Amino acid sequence: MRISDRRFALFLMTPAALFLAVFVAFPLFRLVADSFFKISPIAGGSREFVGLDNYVRAFASEAFTGAGWRTLAYTLVVVTLEFALGLGMALLFTMLGKSSQIWRTVFMYPLMIAPIVAGLLWKFLMIDNFGLIGTLLHQAGILSDPNQIGWLSDPGIVLYSVAVPDIWLTTSFMCLVLFAGLQNIPGDLIEAARLDGARAPALLFRIILPLLRPVIAVALVVRGIDAARAFDTILIQTNGGPQSASETMSLLIYRTMIRFGDPGLASAMGTLYLLAMLAVAFVAVSTIWRPGKDN
Amino acid sequence: MSTRKNINRLATIGGICTVVALAASGCGAGGPASSSGSAGTSTVNVLVEAGGHAELTGVAEQCKKETGVDVNFVELPYDGMFNRLSSEFSSGTVSFDVAALDSVWLPSFKDAVQPIDELFTDEAKKDIFPALVKEANVDGHFIGMPAWTNAEIILYRKDLFEDAKNKADFQAKYGYGLAAPTTWKQYQDISAFFTKDGMYGTDVKGGVETEWLAHVLQAGSPMVLDANNKVVIDNAAHKEALDFYTSLVKDAPSGAAQVDWAAAQNLFNQGKTAMTRFWAHAYRQIPKDSAVAGKVGAAPMIAGSAGVGGVPGPWYLSVPKATKNADAAKKFVKCAYDYNDKGIESNLGLAARISAFEKYQDKPGYESFKPLIQTLNGKATATRPATEKWQQIVDTVLVPMLQKAVAGGDSATLLADAKKQIEDLLK
Amino acid sequence: MRTAERVRHDGGATPMAPGTPSAPVATGKERMRRGVNREGLEAGRRGTRTLLWVLLAAAMVLYGFPFLYLLFTSFKTPIDTIAVPPTILPREWTLENYANALGRSGVPASFINSIQTAIISTVLSLVLAVPAAYGITRYKTLSGRIFIMAALVTRMVPPVAIGIPLASMMASMGLADTPIALSIAHTTISLPLSIWLMSSFFEAVPKDLEEAATVDGCSRLGALWRVVIPVVSGGIAVTAIFAFLASWNEFLFALLMTAIRSQTTPVVIANFQTQFGLDWGSMTALAAVYSIPVILLTLLLQRRIVAGMTLGAVKG
Repeated sequence: MRISDRRFALFLMTPAALFLAVFVAFPLFRLVADSFFKISPIAGGSREFVGLDNYVRAFASEAFTGAGWRTLAYTLVVVTLEFALGLGMALLFTMLGKSSQIWRTVFMYPLMIAPIVAGLLWKFLMIDNFGLIGTLLHQAGILSDPNQIGWLSDPGIVLYSVAVPDIWLTTSFMCLVLFAGLQNIPGDLIEAARLDGARAPALLFRIILPLLRPVIAVALVVRGIDAARAFDTILIQTNGGPQSASETMSLLIYRTMIRFGDPGLASAMGTLYLLAMLAVAFVAVSTIWRPGKDN
Repeated sequence: MSTRKNINRLATIGGICTVVALAASGCGAGGPASSSGSAGTSTVNVLVEAGGHAELTGVAEQCKKETGVDVNFVELPYDGMFNRLSSEFSSGTVSFDVAALDSVWLPSFKDAVQPIDELFTDEAKKDIFPALVKEANVDGHFIGMPAWTNAEIILYRKDLFEDAKNKADFQAKYGYGLAAPTTWKQYQDISAFFTKDGMYGTDVKGGVETEWLAHVLQAGSPMVLDANNKVVIDNAAHKEALDFYTSLVKDAPSGAAQVDWAAAQNLFNQGKTAMTRFWAHAYRQIPKDSAVAGKVGAAPMIAGSAGVGGVPGPWYLSVPKATKNADAAKKFVKCAYDYNDKGIESNLGLAARISAFEKYQDKPGYESFKPLIQTLNGKATATRPATEKWQQIVDTVLVPMLQKAVAGGDSATLLADAKKQIEDLLK
Repeated sequence: MRTAERVRHDGGATPMAPGTPSAPVATGKERMRRGVNREGLEAGRRGTRTLLWVLLAAAMVLYGFPFLYLLFTSFKTPIDTIAVPPTILPREWTLENYANALGRSGVPASFINSIQTAIISTVLSLVLAVPAAYGITRYKTLSGRIFIMAALVTRMVPPVAIGIPLASMMASMGLADTPIALSIAHTTISLPLSIWLMSSFFEAVPKDLEEAATVDGCSRLGALWRVVIPVVSGGIAVTAIFAFLASWNEFLFALLMTAIRSQTTPVVIANFQTQFGLDWGSMTALAAVYSIPVILLTLLLQRRIVAGMTLGAVKG
């Protein structure tokens, strides 16, 4: 008996949908439910309903609002830099053509490295007294003292220092995606523009970027979400310090839940965080990415 | 189609891999089955931190011989351990039968561990340092057996201190003989004296709080909270201690805000600092091939206006309520007490029983023990407040405050802010 | 064919007449001027090319140096790794760190756990994603569009939010601290991406293929299995690689959900940071051992990956 196409499609999608429902939707539901309770950290302990109290506490706490701004700043810095660098490298590879293919391959290697390893690596490079970067800059004469810049110990710049491994890891990805997109631009179009006398900046901004827009849009949205969720690299480099200057939302929620034993408050923070990301992604998707419009 | 063949080949390989993986997936590759599935076996899983692992290995061997209890150690870093304990206790299923707990964690986890009163015989109570006996007793029951204790002492470069030219110069400049410091002023003078030619007098640790707390004790006040749980962090003693702590920044390597125990230990072992205040075990841990091996002396903690004071850092062995292996677990804890002196031969080199320390204190290589015992018996020595919010106080108030202070903040303002924050936390 | 915007002249020469075709071919003379056979964006003049090569070399050095430093450090003696001031090359090359790291109890087991978890998670991800993606792209139903939006939302969930609920869920199912529990958690991460990728691969396959198969008497499932899947086998391979990597390098779920039996290597690497000592030597050695096989494997398969990304990127 032949079931309808629509039923067949549903049947194909069901296993995956079921999986996501059980292992993602259900825990999320518990997260939201937990946010209305005050829960003891030891299993079997107290669990009392407190309504919106956790949400009020979250908004009132400086840690939460601070983490929010820091997460935003971190995301903007990471996405901007990885896009700019990725685009630069992609253009470089495109302009050098086939002869640079092997280097393109080599450039891909950071994609394989675990974020935790990248974080450790850069911590090792940036840490005071033992870090190589300070020493190299000092030997090059740029710094008067190897420890002049406290990459990971100065609260003013630590948020940007911990972004470095993230950028280092993800620029490869951006480059790959943008390079692939660039490959799809017909050569004749560029020739035509050149013949019309267009110089490099015009080429870039008037032709290349608009043509790449769907690719860029998806890449930015996806990487933006990933950057906002960053955890491994920051945890291993500074654990959120000094003075919470590198504590983003993920880290704050982790600390509140595990270290300070307040699952209720952590759940409230998590729910707010998720809502914020949904809102931003929704706005981004509907403005930058117009699926189906570009054909 | 060759693609089809490849697909088939790949699929077969993938299929075989998956079957194997699934078959083995019931049991992870790491270690024997966890206690929650195997009630009554004589294998205990012991959760420890690196130092603890070293300490208890000798004990484990003895225990196996005597009682047949097999021990499987699970080693975690300090922060990771607290997080693991928290998350397992909150999920209700524990993967270990014994855990080594830092003393400050006892109040947080008191509801998750079971009493071991039967192990605290009168004889035991006499042989363990009194402060530890007091600390192990929470709400009327003993919930942890001290396995080893520690305190900060002074480690200094004997070779530099005994150098004739240094002695002469120091006498000329400060008017008294160069020797291991015993007071705050001497510590400051010596630090200033040795800060030259790429070397520093001492280190300042902005990343950890216990050292500053020791100075608070030396200045004559209980740490942060008094006996009635009132917040006293803004009193005179705290301010004196903070000012003393930050006065040393100019004689210490930079980046003080992030200097933690590991960094300070490395700096000293590399010969960058002439003195350090550090936990006693570091003396025996100086690598043989380091620049300072054989040139280090040990002295008790310095004294403030209230005398010598140190913060003991004991670790207790506790048995979780949720374990199914309680008997074997308690047997192991008893072994740990009986063979406490085995720990002294280990990499960490510490114990909890007075008799164990006395056995070794005159042997060569154990010069750190007498200073350690003196510090532990110091007039001002006391244990940290027993509040379940202590970890949170340390993480969110004390450490950030210290970091701001070593970066040049005003101590009175910082202490007043800290008071308010702690009061909010304890509400 | 996308229409490009008409390019205006910077110099103010005559704008293009409305009737001009939008893509005139360059004359042979024009191409000769720029160098032989370089089309489109590729740089023609030798001077420019040299400059670009220099830039590339600089970028490569800067980019590759950190990992090289990791490798060099892993060959130093333990005390040399924390030298002040730090050195780049080892004073004396030794395998001590590797011996220490790999000899530590629990480390070889963690490798096995990592491999196990990654394989199960990859297979699970593919088994769920391939049919789902096919259903979404081939039959453009409303539920399909809703589903793909849901998958995007899943991707937004920070692991830290569902880590603990998942852990206690697994515990109550009796799966605490097992590789399969961790694999399930990892699949929640890789499934949205897998669906996304497979969707773009399926979109590239013309419908005629299945139509031909069904005309020949194949059922719809049969058509999928016998005709379409072999065609997207390259895409499946790419998806598999990404799913594997996602599990291999994952840290947070492993931290929250594994204890003794199923601990994976990333957690072990992080655990080298003890309270009183930073065992840089062992850490770098273990990190190197953990990363190099994956790097080599992926470099071998890189052509597939790039091809896959091309398809994936364009279709979004």
